[in-house]
Amino acid sequence: MKTLLRVENIFYSYDKKEVLKNISLEIKEGEFFVLLGLNGAGKSTLFSLITRLLSLQDGKIFINSYSLTNYKKALKNIGIVFQESSLDLDLSIRQNLFFYACIQGVNFTEAFLKIQDELKALDLLDKLDIKIRDLNQGHRRRVEILRSLINDPKILLLDEATVGLDVKSRFDILEFIRLMVKNRNICVLWITHLFDEVKGDDKVALMKDGEIIENCLLEEMLIKHNKKSLNEVFSYLTQARKEGK
Amino acid sequence: MKSLYYCAFGIIYKELLRFIKQKSRFFSALVRPLLWLVIFSSGFKAALGLAIIPPYETYITYETYIVPGLIGMILLFNGMQSSLSTLFDKEMGSMKILLSSHISRNYLLFCKMFATGLVSTIQSMAFLFVAYFYGVQMELLAYIIIVPVILFTSIILNAFALFVSSVIKQLENFASVMNFVIFPMFFMSSALYPLWKIKDSSLLLFNLSSYNPFTYIVEFIRFSLYLKFDLSTFIIIIILFLSSLVLAFIGYQSKSTSSKKNK
Repeated sequence: MKTLLRVENIFYSYDKKEVLKNISLEIKEGEFFVLLGLNGAGKSTLFSLITRLLSLQDGKIFINSYSLTNYKKALKNIGIVFQESSLDLDLSIRQNLFFYACIQGVNFTEAFLKIQDELKALDLLDKLDIKIRDLNQGHRRRVEILRSLINDPKILLLDEATVGLDVKSRFDILEFIRLMVKNRNICVLWITHLFDEVKGDDKVALMKDGEIIENCLLEEMLIKHNKKSLNEVFSYLTQARKEGK
Repeated sequence: MKSLYYCAFGIIYKELLRFIKQKSRFFSALVRPLLWLVIFSSGFKAALGLAIIPPYETYITYETYIVPGLIGMILLFNGMQSSLSTLFDKEMGSMKILLSSHISRNYLLFCKMFATGLVSTIQSMAFLFVAYFYGVQMELLAYIIIVPVILFTSIILNAFALFVSSVIKQLENFASVMNFVIFPMFFMSSALYPLWKIKDSSLLLFNLSSYNPFTYIVEFIRFSLYLKFDLSTFIIIIILFLSSLVLAFIGYQSKSTSSKKNK
């Protein structure tokens, strides 16, 4: 399987505080990759580096084999859902999608035809002309997810995409994304601090204080550390780090 | 090439759509200079008698004098409003979708400045239309020539406003911009009174006003409205255009908080 996202030896500091320490990871085609860590672990900093909101200080990032230094080609292949809502509240769903298609440099009419299935699956078909302001949080999130697909990306990056949603909406969205990974054969980088969003066949990287402390399939992780849940693995590993094991 | 076209179209579309939807924004942008034209000028025309100064070849009314300055006011306040909305977008996250696009960030920012410039141009032309019926009338050709002039000068102010928005970290700090940037820029210029009037009162203020970029923007509009061309003002405008673009582009480069990791 082709590697779609490769992060190599990333270090990053805010002033003198080192927030990312030698981060490396690889995400392949068809993978649902979870980057899991508590608040302040450095997940969003890594996300900002991949999306070029912050510039790299040390290390390399490759998206679909293109180095991020060649961002015009690299960023063409990604769809992004930010932690904060980035929709224009006074515009309708259709207008927001149109605007995003334009700034991604794609023809809206063609792009719109390609997301019809997702439009139905996300229950947005009959809401296209409703203003974002009049939608609930769950539907706003769905619009952002739909929007991220408009440039037909190979990689989807989602930063805490389910934050602030009720349990049903959270798992509906999660299921939808997992289905998309299969249907579109894309890869997903799912950044979260919620342990219950990880499933057995997901690849998980546990992040703590700017470092990746474990990185493998969840099933393998549980067997390796002889634990019953991811929560236990995380507690065990952070305790072990404290004790300097 | 096609993608650049879609991109420019999208940004202009969104800006115009916002403009159409926010009718109060249009009216407040129109009412502000009209209040100055009707009320301020009525009160001050007696006190501020004007001598013959270029580009005017005869004595003019005070209303006629301040119209270019009031167009400058529309552009300045619109630019700052756009800066405020950019700041809001930055805080709310929607600016991130622009900044993470694969299309050149500088190109996207320029499209944004251009789109805001279009809105400012529409507002300025609406103001000139009302001013016409108030008695401030120009030659027909001036109304045509002024369109690209307003658009061009508006881009300068929008670029400057974008730079300001890149420097301000919090929305709350925007009030300081009004006090320390917009008002001094507007009042220390030739918008409301000719510079020689200021010189009579304070040499220091005169010198400061002579270095105020907004003075040259107002003068460029003033000369264009009277179908006159002043080469030195034009050269300064070009320099201002380029330098403000550079400032805006630098302001929105990806931030690298620390130059190098501390290994």
